Amino acid sequence: MTIQVLNPGLQTTIQAAPRAGMRHLGVPTSGAADPLSMALANKLVGNDLLAPALEVTLTGMSFRADVNTQIAITGASAACTVNGKPAQQHLTLQLASGDEVHIGPAEKGARSYVAFAGGLRADETLGSQSTYLPAGFAGFKGRPLQKGDQLDLGKPSKIVELLQTPAEYRPPILDSWTIRAGHSSETKLLSDADRLFATKFTIGNRSDRMGLRLEGTKFDIRSDGRMPSAPVFPGTIQCPEDGELFVLSVDAGTTGGYPRVAKIARLDLHMLGQLRPGNQLMLIEREQSDAEVELREKHTYWNAWLPGIERII
Amino acid sequence: MLSAGDDLVSISVANPREAQDLATRLRESLAFLEVVAGIDSVVVQFDIASKDRNDIEQQIAEIVAQPGNTHTISHALVEIPVCYGGVAGPDLADVCEQLRISQEQFIALHSGREYEVDLVGFTPGFAYIGGLDDQLNVPRLQEPRVCVPAGSVGITGGMTGLYALQGPGGWPLIGRTSFTLFDVDAGDPFVLVAGSRVVFVAVDSM
Repeated sequence: MTIQVLNPGLQTTIQAAPRAGMRHLGVPTSGAADPLSMALANKLVGNDLLAPALEVTLTGMSFRADVNTQIAITGASAACTVNGKPAQQHLTLQLASGDEVHIGPAEKGARSYVAFAGGLRADETLGSQSTYLPAGFAGFKGRPLQKGDQLDLGKPSKIVELLQTPAEYRPPILDSWTIRAGHSSETKLLSDADRLFATKFTIGNRSDRMGLRLEGTKFDIRSDGRMPSAPVFPGTIQCPEDGELFVLSVDAGTTGGYPRVAKIARLDLHMLGQLRPGNQLMLIEREQSDAEVELREKHTYWNAWLPGIERII
Repeated sequence: MLSAGDDLVSISVANPREAQDLATRLRESLAFLEVVAGIDSVVVQFDIASKDRNDIEQQIAEIVAQPGNTHTISHALVEIPVCYGGVAGPDLADVCEQLRISQEQFIALHSGREYEVDLVGFTPGFAYIGGLDDQLNVPRLQEPRVCVPAGSVGITGGMTGLYALQGPGGWPLIGRTSFTLFDVDAGDPFVLVAGSRVVFVAVDSM
């Protein structure tokens, strides 16, 4: 009941449910950077939407199944193969023992997700199986996968028929993104706050599961660099004194001292996991009440394919 | 009470002790997803899909209005060895130049006095320690570092920060410690907690 890593790629980790309710201890949330794509993969193999799965970054990866199993691949657009033959994303794939699966480099988007019937077995630390690399815990030995690693599969809870994600439930993977956001605690320290929602940002090279750089323009921030450290969350956008914004993602720290000038609305947070260096990003302003209504509408829409979506987005 | 985002409410408080106390009481209500204390604020994250913002704000106001509990538990004094300057503290020379003091003066002012941990946050085990001598107040780096080594000791805005893990960071680094700040294999992985008493001891090497 194992799979063996043939080529781990740039960074492949096991991700599962977020590490909820631990931020007051300085413990970040973690979990899939794009939890919607991970949930879609788990759905296709009959798993709980948050079952441990592989998160594959940019360059792809490959593995061999040493057991008959079912898998599904979602997320970034990537050319995938089984034994060298093209394999579709968003489809339950039946694997026989010995089959080799190759997840190609991401052509658009940043992260592919591979779910296995029964889920991957993973170490649990501080209430979650999601790998947190900076402290080296949970997932698979707290580290990215390496060549030769053998990963155990859980027991499938039911036999699933082959499924395909309906076209209307395949999240678009883009080069240019619009993401809903609103003001935060220190927005008033920007003398040019209006530009937050009228700027085309470029995602910087220094972007990862902790955060993404928003390049292309600098903001005028009235700050002396001595702000008392304050709580921050995935989606918080901060502005250091150099005026270049960054947005925090799933592995970001829990407190920070750079002014918090905006926050991505909860309903669009999952998109952060697919933004890659060089992509364009526009922030669209949403008042809180609208962000709330639109979240509920999004839940209603997604519940038809993914019951329990409220746990995901 | 202020909004910090679509699902966040921020409450201002006077000091770190009040922040810890209010955060504890809010957390005990089990009404919120996350309750995180800062130095002079507490931020609550709530489930906007199932809860109404007005109800949440009212619930927070009721808890804020209840009497606080800032009595202190007495903690043992923890000695933290620090190798100051050089490779271990690459910003110490700049900091001393900014403050117009010698490195010896800096070390004398920073070590050999008792501090209290105000907050553990940022990353697992990172400790914010207030009470720095007024002369040692410097701002954050204008551009944060991509990679700060584990054990680094930074200062900013009147506080000392201990980087438990390697990672990005924006505080000028004045030294490094070999002291283990986070041990995931220990029964309780968090070595320091808010309220812990610490003293820095200058050492020549790591």
